[in-house]
Amino acid sequence: MDAPDRSETAVPAFRLGVILLGGIVVAFVIAVVGITSYFRLSPETAILRESAMGNVRGTWNTKIALNVGVLTTSLVRAGTHLFKLAPEPQAAFDAIRAAEVGIYKVSEDAGWVDHRAILARADKSMSARRWDRVVGVSQENQLVAVYVPRRELSAQRIKCCVLVLQGKDLIVVGATGNLNPLLEIAGKNFDFKDATQHFALR
Amino acid sequence: MKNLMRCVLGAGILPLVLAVRLCADTPPPGQVDFGTFKAPSGGGQFVEVNVTGSLISLATKFLEKDQPDAAQILKGLQSVRVNVIGLTDENRSDIEARVQGVRKDLEAKGWERIVKVQDNGQDVGVYLKTQNKDTVQGLVVVVIDGGKEAVFVNVVGDIKPEQLSMLGEKLHIDPLRKIGHEVEKAEPAPEKP
Repeated sequence: MDAPDRSETAVPAFRLGVILLGGIVVAFVIAVVGITSYFRLSPETAILRESAMGNVRGTWNTKIALNVGVLTTSLVRAGTHLFKLAPEPQAAFDAIRAAEVGIYKVSEDAGWVDHRAILARADKSMSARRWDRVVGVSQENQLVAVYVPRRELSAQRIKCCVLVLQGKDLIVVGATGNLNPLLEIAGKNFDFKDATQHFALR
Repeated sequence: MKNLMRCVLGAGILPLVLAVRLCADTPPPGQVDFGTFKAPSGGGQFVEVNVTGSLISLATKFLEKDQPDAAQILKGLQSVRVNVIGLTDENRSDIEARVQGVRKDLEAKGWERIVKVQDNGQDVGVYLKTQNKDTVQGLVVVVIDGGKEAVFVNVVGDIKPEQLSMLGEKLHIDPLRKIGHEVEKAEPAPEKP
């Protein structure tokens, strides 16, 4: 019986090492990307933020920027099914697919804010991504704009992005959800006739 | 032979594709382009609501179980657009000219003026686009309210003026609800001879 050639066993061991190292690097990169993604807004919400920030002189400070994506919400959703939750919070967890929020404050030296310019810039950029503004309200120092995608809008998958600028505070919000669980719970528990009176598009 | 087949197929399909694209680009007859409005400078009032077909069908789903009448009205609609622009010294003449322009344009395009009120600084015009006198294709309301604000409303689809306030309530568009109430109170315009 011949002893195995040492050079033959060394090659698979080397390959295994490379694969392991590669795996560790990939896992590390995924972990970094995954963790940083919690603090990075989606392109649409970022556009709204930039539209506001780009048209206001002054220094912006980030108060919070948080993005909870599909993976996290799916895990949370799966986790909640392990416990016996009341139907209402369970429906809320089931409805949320992704959510993000950014809160910013501009320095006191910021001058007059041109709402027209903010809306025009946001409209242009969002339109290029096939998103339409469904609501725009501007009065005194308040500005509210709501955008929805031109297509892919259904009760199963509704997406929207909102910009609120009030004085020195800027809030941008993005959300993706499935309304069906909420509709189901609403149909069971509430007087739907009254509830729909306040179906708010603005 | 193969080339000939390709040419024949191409010649047949190309006009079809062009026709489909043309249909997709042509706005519905009840739709009116008011143009783009800019928020008045200096913090004047500006409200723009643009409810598209996909949002209307979503709202219809909410309502169809418990409020079938309201859902039925929404089903006949394609879009709702409401603009409220506060009038300032800077934009007053431009907006007033825009109102006159829209009215002239509508009349030239065969829209029927069904309500006209000029009272106490308020100037309301309601226009209807119909097909064969039976089917409403669109409705436009143009208002100048006491020199304070101008309101432009365009509802594309089968809607009656008396349903405007209900539509405003269901979609929670406050200016539309208010205009609906004004229209309900207003006298219809005299029939043209």
